[in-house]
Amino acid sequence: MNFWQNFKRDFLVKFWAPIPAVIALGILSAYYFGLTGTYWAVTGEFTRWGGHVLEAFGVDLSTWGYYKIMNMDGNIFTRIDGVMIIGMFAGCIAAAFWGNNVKLRMPASNIRIFQALIGGIIAGFGARLGMGCNLASFFTGIPQFTFHAWMFTIAMIVGVYLGAKFSLLPFFQSKIRLQKVSCTKPLEKNESKVKSLFTLGSFIFIAIIIWALYLIFAQGSTKLGMAMLFGSAFGLAIAKAQICFTSAFRDIFTTGRSELAKAIVIGMAVATLGVFSYIMIGQPPKIMWAGPNAIIGGILFGFGIVLAGGCECGWMYRAVEGQIHFWVVGIGNVIGATLLAFVWDDLSLELATSWPKINLLEVFGNYGGLFLNYGLLILLFALILVLEKRYLNKSKNR
Amino acid sequence: MNVEEIIPDYRLDMQGEPCPYPAVNALETMKELKEGEILEIISDCPQSINNIPADAKNHGYKVLNVDSSGPTIRYIIQK
Repeated sequence: MNFWQNFKRDFLVKFWAPIPAVIALGILSAYYFGLTGTYWAVTGEFTRWGGHVLEAFGVDLSTWGYYKIMNMDGNIFTRIDGVMIIGMFAGCIAAAFWGNNVKLRMPASNIRIFQALIGGIIAGFGARLGMGCNLASFFTGIPQFTFHAWMFTIAMIVGVYLGAKFSLLPFFQSKIRLQKVSCTKPLEKNESKVKSLFTLGSFIFIAIIIWALYLIFAQGSTKLGMAMLFGSAFGLAIAKAQICFTSAFRDIFTTGRSELAKAIVIGMAVATLGVFSYIMIGQPPKIMWAGPNAIIGGILFGFGIVLAGGCECGWMYRAVEGQIHFWVVGIGNVIGATLLAFVWDDLSLELATSWPKINLLEVFGNYGGLFLNYGLLILLFALILVLEKRYLNKSKNR
Repeated sequence: MNVEEIIPDYRLDMQGEPCPYPAVNALETMKELKEGEILEIISDCPQSINNIPADAKNHGYKVLNVDSSGPTIRYIIQK
């Protein structure tokens, strides 16, 4: 009994340490690519949801070029990305419910709601223009050896910097004031609520595993079932460790903390080797256009996620924790992605489709590309150290 | 340190504010405090668990107590 109580406290209730969790996500994402043939990504599926909504309103999508690229076949239950996201939501719910981390959190002001919506739209638009968010154009994009991910990532850091400056303007600063007190504030403790939340979380977690096993063994849809299991692991890890890709670079500029950014680089270094192995045995990598779309998309995305306070995968776990702010961000993301699909046919030739898809493994040879990717990762790590030092020097002089 | 033994001088109740505002405001406030004074920060942004304690340590403050047993988290930090 004691063993279970300790296990429950240490692994299910408490937050997980973020740095090992990011590295584990890097490893898992490489295996995900090997088993499903696609990379861990979420925004593409959100774009398809926007498309389905338009279809429900009678809009004919057959003339929209972007939806042709996105492949709208099937639905959320039959697409790998779709079932992965169902798994992710289940993992996020389990993490939040086990950890007694559910509370309806109302935004502190209307300014925040405005930020969430506008930031969400800009980020959704930018991500789809750049063919991926913090996942497909950064964390799981760079290990695919697609040069567009590097362009997007560097542009995103610029966007994050601008977003951090903008979000800390006096207009956006918190209006909350300091109070003089003489005792600590009592926090709500409700043991029966904690218990029932825990049971509900366990129920959802077990249900998703049964669903995935059913897909694998009863339906023979092994890829869908495995994608769902991976999704639940991704969701559990990001929510339990509160992994926020947005904060990785933002917080270097706001408070000078860089632990997560460094961990993400290490996670990508691990994933690069895993993905490389699968490519060597014949799995085709996901390569996107290395055009101005990656740069413009990256800047917009970086700015948008910081203004909104979270990115495309971050809003998922926050939404199930009851943070109303992030329901608005999620809606903004789908609106932004749909807007991009709407204007895509006017922009795509100049900004994207007339530009080459650069696969580092083809340009520099397999091992040339592998070592180049590692060289670039080392440079990114060095850039993080420089930015951190720059902040600390500035803050000392102030 | 046991939370019952701590008497904070100030409280910053950031409930409802998303990250990075709780961490940014916490650091701004710590600058105003006198040596030895204690600040209690209340935040219901769960991600602050990765921000506030790490930032406080990086900036040379002492983290006396963190209570993250519920959705509303308390941090007690001493200058």
